Amino acid sequence: MNCPASSWKHWLAENGPRLLLFARGWSNSRQDAEDLVQEAILRMWHHQADKGATPPDLPLVFSTIRFCGLNHHRSESRRRKREESVIYLNDFQDVWLDPVLEEDEEAVILRHAVQQLSQKLREVVVMKFWGGLTFLQISETLAISPNTAASRYRYALEQLAQELRRMKEDRHASA
Amino acid sequence: MQAPNPIEEILARLMPPALSQSRQFEIEEMIDELAGPDATTHAPLPSPWWRSRMLIGSGIAAALATLCAFIPSKSNTPIAQTTHNLSPISSSEMVLISESDRIESMTDEGWQDEADGSAMHALRVNAVGQNSLRDEESGMVVQISELREELLLTPISAF
Repeated sequence: MNCPASSWKHWLAENGPRLLLFARGWSNSRQDAEDLVQEAILRMWHHQADKGATPPDLPLVFSTIRFCGLNHHRSESRRRKREESVIYLNDFQDVWLDPVLEEDEEAVILRHAVQQLSQKLREVVVMKFWGGLTFLQISETLAISPNTAASRYRYALEQLAQELRRMKEDRHASA
Repeated sequence: MQAPNPIEEILARLMPPALSQSRQFEIEEMIDELAGPDATTHAPLPSPWWRSRMLIGSGIAAALATLCAFIPSKSNTPIAQTTHNLSPISSSEMVLISESDRIESMTDEGWQDEADGSAMHALRVNAVGQNSLRDEESGMVVQISELREELLLTPISAF
């Protein structure tokens, strides 16, 4: 019989990267994102205590990361401008996604474009594409309708396509 | 069969990085501590929070004395009287085992207009703060829960 700790560690190994990606959208740095993930896991442990101590469902974890991120946003907004300048100088390699293949120009362009999406669109893209959630699950997590979730996803893909076209044209023009 | 979106094909060539090794280790340690013997040997009251008010043994009274120490009061007299009546049991005999904060529900309250013309997205959150205290003398564990409701407002900047 699996002990809870073992199940949770397997669950963390499998889902840690997608949780970190989602948390990155709610934080100013990778370190802050890891803090959010850890805080969410601690909250989830207590939440699941009377539910068999099994690892939680992903939609609830995303929702909890979002809640923790909102709390941090409210309490630290005054320090953010100062921290952003520090991050720019010291953390210029802070990327949220890694290309599978080296020198994949299109993937690198889209990586930057994903990070630049508005939070509402980026949340949906991250949960749908890398989180593996359905539009129904996303709608429950964000307290929006499934149609709105689907619309935001489509709109996000359109914006990413536009940005990819623009960047390619700029690069060819300057070549 | 729907043709794959070309953007999605490129996104599939991007992978989120794993947690840093140090953080992975730290979280696994945290899980071990949560699941360890200390977290599993205490027996919380199998009851809703309001049942903890039943006076069963000195542990409950001591827990209430500890709780009263955190309740702000305009006059020192009521608190002093409470601790005086329970003087044989000091708050130092109660040990805080764990504290947690969990979300019970989140409800989208829609948009709210601010006085300066901006719009805010309102999210109502019902949460429960829960503390577990153990009486070192009797070994009894008491859970004290506090329900609270918060309204989180986020500026709306884009669709």
